[in-house]
Amino acid sequence: MAAVQETIDQVRQIDVDQYKYGFETVIEVDKAPKGLSEDIIRFISAKKREPEWMLEWRLDAYRRWLTMEEPTWARVAYPKIDFNDVYYYAAPKNITGPVSLDEVDPELLRTYEKLGIPLREQEILAGVQTSKVAVDAVFDSVSVVTTFKEELKKAGVIFMSISEAIREHPELIKQYLGSVVPTTDNYYATLNAAVFTDGSFVFIPKGVRCPMELSTYFRINEKNTGQFERTLIIAEEGAYVSYLEGCTAPQRDENQLHAAVVELVAMDDAEIKYSTVQNWYPGDAQGKGGIYNFVTKRGDCRGHRSKISWTQVETGSAITWKYPSCILRGDESRGEFYSIAVSNGHQQIDSGTKMIHLGKNTSSRIISKGISAGVSQNTYRGQVSINRRAENARNFTNCDSLLIGDKCGAHTVPYIEVKNSSAQVEHEATTSKISDDHKFYVMQRGIPEEEAIALIVNGFVKDVIQQLPMEFAVEAQKLIGISLEGSVG
Amino acid sequence: MNIQTINRLTPAETALVEAYTAQVGELPGDGAVIGTRDRLLDDLKKSGLPTRRVEAWHYTDLKSLLRNVPAAAPTVSVDAIAPLVGDAQLLSVLQGTASEFVAIDGVEIAPFAAALSDGSAAAGLVALDKDDAIGKINGSFVRDGYSINVPAGTSVDAPIEIQAVHGAGQVHTRFPVTFGAGSNATIIERHQSATGEAAFVSTISELVLEEGAEAVFIILQQQGADDTHLGQVRVKLGRNAKLKLFVVNVGGKLVRQELRIDVEGEGSELTLRGVNLLGQETHTDVTLVLGHNVPHTNSTETFRNVVFDRAKGVFQGMIRVAPDAQKTDAKMACNTLLLTDDGEFAVKPELEIFADDVICGHGATVADIDKNHLYYLESRGIPERKARAMLVNAFVAEIVEELEDEKLVEALEGVISAWLEKHA
Repeated sequence: MAAVQETIDQVRQIDVDQYKYGFETVIEVDKAPKGLSEDIIRFISAKKREPEWMLEWRLDAYRRWLTMEEPTWARVAYPKIDFNDVYYYAAPKNITGPVSLDEVDPELLRTYEKLGIPLREQEILAGVQTSKVAVDAVFDSVSVVTTFKEELKKAGVIFMSISEAIREHPELIKQYLGSVVPTTDNYYATLNAAVFTDGSFVFIPKGVRCPMELSTYFRINEKNTGQFERTLIIAEEGAYVSYLEGCTAPQRDENQLHAAVVELVAMDDAEIKYSTVQNWYPGDAQGKGGIYNFVTKRGDCRGHRSKISWTQVETGSAITWKYPSCILRGDESRGEFYSIAVSNGHQQIDSGTKMIHLGKNTSSRIISKGISAGVSQNTYRGQVSINRRAENARNFTNCDSLLIGDKCGAHTVPYIEVKNSSAQVEHEATTSKISDDHKFYVMQRGIPEEEAIALIVNGFVKDVIQQLPMEFAVEAQKLIGISLEGSVG
Repeated sequence: MNIQTINRLTPAETALVEAYTAQVGELPGDGAVIGTRDRLLDDLKKSGLPTRRVEAWHYTDLKSLLRNVPAAAPTVSVDAIAPLVGDAQLLSVLQGTASEFVAIDGVEIAPFAAALSDGSAAAGLVALDKDDAIGKINGSFVRDGYSINVPAGTSVDAPIEIQAVHGAGQVHTRFPVTFGAGSNATIIERHQSATGEAAFVSTISELVLEEGAEAVFIILQQQGADDTHLGQVRVKLGRNAKLKLFVVNVGGKLVRQELRIDVEGEGSELTLRGVNLLGQETHTDVTLVLGHNVPHTNSTETFRNVVFDRAKGVFQGMIRVAPDAQKTDAKMACNTLLLTDDGEFAVKPELEIFADDVICGHGATVADIDKNHLYYLESRGIPERKARAMLVNAFVAEIVEELEDEKLVEALEGVISAWLEKHA
């Protein structure tokens, strides 16, 4: 046990204090008064210059929300959230409508530099042509800048903030917004529908393969603000898009609220690949502060032969409550979920997926890797449901958990419901610590323990890392390293 | 939004309350026992039967599934049947009442009604948690059963068969069994319908294995096609104890079989096996909560289910490893053959792990018979119907064979073959 103890100690020392993105950017902000009421919603809607129908949509959601109860079934414990003690709208002050990069507050740009976000087009252009990334950056509540808009437009791709889209493409918004995650869906999704302030909108027309990776960076900066973004991605017949979101927040003692909704729609033969690198502030070593992350993500494989793939690397947040799901409606549609969830310190993660098989010959694959260290709790919660009419459905699920230290917990809660005999459903889950044999094997070749553990953990999560777009795989690997610093390289 | 909802009684709940009022005067028990019964029933009345909103009953919404409960009919007369294996020593419970029995060498046996009358059973009449509907129902209504004690160091050669036979009405039984240190015995607990008329059965077995005890415990549920069976097995495993627990469900309409197992002694070993054959409109739910509470314990759990007709099956299996229970090795598997599109199966295998130096895993599969296997047999001239029967039989026989005792294996395989012939 001696060697293991060493690792545990090292993990304990780390890092939650070393949160790399824990800086705060001082810029002027425009805030709505604290609290939540119909007036606040009218204020947000007015600020966004939204049409009347949008305001009604929000108010409807708000009234519904008032009748709902906070869900308690997840394995996360936190003091009751006072939803009236939150700022629902905060925007960097000198931003009015879409701007070119040059007009952005230099302070803000420095923030992005610190974040390492490839905002500047020239920086990206310096790289290989094919690895271009278009970025939409959301700072507190508003989308600050969207790059590469023109070039995307040539391909017919619409990539803009959702506030712009509500004004410029109301017909698309009316048709698709809330069609995957209805306003009545769950407590946090309904709250989001009432108060969402910005987010990204992507529309890939028929037959278009989006010429570059699309990316959104979310950052909560202002104190006591909640961030409620809403993302809507539509891939028409035969379209393809790969989309990545990243998230960071400054270090604060208070908990901050984040309740996002992401909706994906894939028509016939379309494919959407959605990757997340979530690195919100996880709180300090005593479990103080950190982001409460309550997210509803759902993809609708509406067309035949469509495919939606979720990949997530979850290393941040004090609380993660997130279940990216796929509704496999079209025949031969496919859903995938690849997840790495790393919890350390006092973090609590309750995450997983739902695969709802409705169409014929649908298939789904779930690979989930949980790593818990410190005194954290890490839960995989997933559902695979095969409808009675879903002929020849196929599912494979694999959830592995790795425990580092004896004070943390790893839990697996899969729900499998099969109503058609032609279905083939397999589920397997394991929980263990890093095998002494494996470690010994690596170390006896002269590799120090630290590196040995790093190698083994990298091997453990390899299946998922491989699913990330190449540009972000490296970043994700580093993130995992930082989150587990001390035990992992 | 914390509106305290008042439970509006369903017909089944009303029937239970009325049955209690009608019987309470004649149910055995001293003051303490009656007090406990009253409390449990009151609790049940307040909480109502569990719905799918109660996580432990997620796939078995007892409130809506239990349409009605027949009135208690303690005077219905039934006869004992032949034991499962020829040399078994029989302990009969007929329509819920323990009958006269022949003493078994070296084993202390008493009707459970005696423990109710003298109050010594009061402490055990508890619900394990607020959602323990079976504990509440059985605790309120239990009339008889057997208390069995296999004293320390005793080896019982022939199997003991507890045979609960019933006709229509209600039957509530309880079987506390203690296997003393170093003892060794095999016990079969069988629930059988004699008439096929609708019956409502609740039964709880409490197994305690003391240091080094080795036991084989088989539960064979062969109730009628209209019966409700609410069974619970509470197990405490002591140091170096070894338990082989087999659960075979081949009957009933609404079945909930709860296995609440606490591994409490280092070096102990649990082998849990289950076979569930589901036909017609059956709803069968096997729910396991297994706590590995101390270091150095092993367990393996394997369940095989076959779903025919319009049946619905449920398996929930939770393995919980306590914070200091290092070196736990627990493996659980649940394999299901879903043979019709009208049937369904839901699985929820859970791992809840608070210790790091463990090896825990679970696997679950649901599928029809493998086409390649079928092809292999058919290409050898075996007709499809027969080939399917062979494959289904092999699928479950594999589990039964782990009993090792030839007579028991043969007897159980006989029960399974007979069932399959009738349903396939």
